[in-house]
Amino acid sequence: MNQAEILDALAGLALFSDLDRPQLEAVAHTMSEEAFPAGQRILRQGFSGSGFFVILDGEVSVRVDGSDVARLAKGDFFGEISLLLGEPPVADVVTLVPVKALQLAGPDLRAFLLAYPPVMYRMLQSVSRRLERANRRG
Amino acid sequence: MSLDRQERISWLTGVPLFASCDKDTIERIADTTGELSFADGQAIVQQGQVGNGLYIVVSGAVRIVAGASELARLGPGDFFGELAVIDQQPRNATAYADGPTDCLALASWDLIALLERDSGLAMNLLRELARRLRRADAQLRH
Amino acid sequence: MVSRRAAAAAAHTEPIFPAGSYDVLVVGSGPGGLQVSYYLSRLGIDHAVISADPEPGGMFRRYPFFQRLLSWTKPHAQLAHDSTEYERYDWNSLVAFEPEHRGLMPGLMDGSSEFPSRAEMEAGLRLFVERTGLRVRYDTTWQGTSREGDGYVLHTSAGDYRSRVVIFAVGIAEPLLPDTPGIEHAAHYADTREAASYADRRLFIIGKQNSGFELASGLLQWASPIILASPRPAKLSVNLHSLDGVRARYIQPWEDAELGGGVYILNASIERIERHADGLAVHTRRSDTAEPFVAQVDEVIAASGFRAPLLDLPQVGVSVFGRSGLPAMDNAYQSATAPGIYFAGTIGQAVSGLKKYGIPANSGAVHGHRYNGRLLVDDVARRWFGIERPRPEVAPEDVVGRLLASATVAPELWHQKSYLARALSRDPDGVIRDEGIVSLAEYVDASGPDGVAITVETDDSGDIHPAVYVRRRGRVDGDARLDSSPLHDYRDAEHRAQLAALIGDVLA
Repeated sequence: MNQAEILDALAGLALFSDLDRPQLEAVAHTMSEEAFPAGQRILRQGFSGSGFFVILDGEVSVRVDGSDVARLAKGDFFGEISLLLGEPPVADVVTLVPVKALQLAGPDLRAFLLAYPPVMYRMLQSVSRRLERANRRG
Repeated sequence: MSLDRQERISWLTGVPLFASCDKDTIERIADTTGELSFADGQAIVQQGQVGNGLYIVVSGAVRIVAGASELARLGPGDFFGELAVIDQQPRNATAYADGPTDCLALASWDLIALLERDSGLAMNLLRELARRLRRADAQLRH
Repeated sequence: MVSRRAAAAAAHTEPIFPAGSYDVLVVGSGPGGLQVSYYLSRLGIDHAVISADPEPGGMFRRYPFFQRLLSWTKPHAQLAHDSTEYERYDWNSLVAFEPEHRGLMPGLMDGSSEFPSRAEMEAGLRLFVERTGLRVRYDTTWQGTSREGDGYVLHTSAGDYRSRVVIFAVGIAEPLLPDTPGIEHAAHYADTREAASYADRRLFIIGKQNSGFELASGLLQWASPIILASPRPAKLSVNLHSLDGVRARYIQPWEDAELGGGVYILNASIERIERHADGLAVHTRRSDTAEPFVAQVDEVIAASGFRAPLLDLPQVGVSVFGRSGLPAMDNAYQSATAPGIYFAGTIGQAVSGLKKYGIPANSGAVHGHRYNGRLLVDDVARRWFGIERPRPEVAPEDVVGRLLASATVAPELWHQKSYLARALSRDPDGVIRDEGIVSLAEYVDASGPDGVAITVETDDSGDIHPAVYVRRRGRVDGDARLDSSPLHDYRDAEHRAQLAALIGDVLA
């Protein structure tokens, strides 16, 4: 993919939809693109050193103690809760097919969110929504 | 029990949510919050209502209830009501005063303006919500 | 009757590996291709190696420009050069099972530096080929690919080569230019001239990664001013605890910029380049203020990266990703989408492994991928030729000692921290077996017998320590670490006790 294609792909993701072009370019340089084969864990329950991921292509399953609790696909992100709390992940995220994702090193998430307030706000909305859902199910 | 401006500023400085806010921001919060008193059992926010702001408990206690379950019990320094502001959905729970309770109320537009100018505050809020989410998810699995 | 001299002459002109079918094909004669050819030959797997080059060396026939490598070989490391432990201090020699073929680089270096020159590195690879008896068909260019039945056909300048298994070790050396308007006025890093030819030139370098700083460093005494620009700030490898950022050797321009000595480092995006009577105008937009800034210079060099020259492999099913168009692979470097196609050498850096704290492995460098190649060939051997890796039995009382010895001296673990590991497992019949060096990502995610994998890891504070992964009932549920040690020696009673406590229920 050339630079323009990469930026277009990013602009299409909800998390980055409030960023302007120069900000998108900066994000593209800050996060690294990774490819994962099927059946690999991207986030591992109980492991230290985890990162933050935004899915570009493919589907993953969120598993707790072996059971599927959610499916995530293009545009979805994960890993932020563990990093915000400084705790290891409490769930596995497993690829169901080969997956392409943007990765940000765990130690860089805080600075990244502070540098891009619109991204932090989208994340705030996402976490709020998930909390509401969790409260409703309780 | 009413706080004057100085008392309010001093008290806000000790609230964990505002721990990273600078003096200017604290003063702004002090000036834009309103103080409200509630009797025992009174609903501070009602499930299904349009959210108008965030509340910080000054004194007393608050029970957060959704349907039949009590989701949380809050005390001085704790906040609630932020989800409806961030997500602009109707309140998903009811907050009852547990005993006579005083709260500071921060209107939606004021909260949003604060979040926009103070990323540290947004980060603190995000962290606290992450904590609650993890707790809620953990409870669901037991 | 043919005279001996005539026969010898005929042998030199007889073409090796003519077009045809082979059990395995290897494309490339750089360190990646040579190392896997070595492993294949020692496993007795027939294969052909073809290369577009006239002689071995790969990228080291050309790079680095300013003559010395960034990878070191320390001749005085208190270890015999033919030992595997010495590989910890020799980042440049290819590895071998035979002691007499190990550690060839120190003998070729002139002693004036712990960093070999480009010529010394090239000579080292050539020597490895001669000594180990590797065979390569040179001057044979891979031009295209097709699928045929359950295999592949490589169309080359010497005809068609067929195989079910093809290992591409073609490097990541195809210049990548950004799609900036006016980029045709810029030269690519790959086309950099003799340093002296930049004397008195105003130079603009696009890119603040290692190659940009390498250029600035090499041209520091010649070009003036030197402007380095890219949207994001430069990152230094010493701060990243890895080889990922700008290496220490190339920090001089940074220091110069900090002191206002004639180097300028900008965080800006390049919008366009225009040619004027006075030279080139580079129009940029600053990342912090979004203000425009124009630099008037004589030359622009784009140190904007490289891509892997994979030709039409996507058309036979190889999925690629990222700016460099690297292939998506599994943990044995096989294409995730095209069975039978593998990638050796620096391309393996696209298999990121656990990348804990964002710290990558060294798969892009020789001292990383020379070990990855072993996993690749073992996978080929197992999947396609039914050759299983030996799993020697280990006595229970040796388990802790063996794991700690690995963590202390194994070069695979030290060069590929948190990426390669030493694993022991317990068979259903209770026998403990040595799995050897494994991919850590594969170990922690694939199911398998109860066991333990040990590796060396760095955390975000820079602390280096052993990390232990225990598999119970087919699952690795978390990680554990042992204490760090000032001289990185974990063979003491304390570490023995810590490790025993972690693995007692599994490998007692």
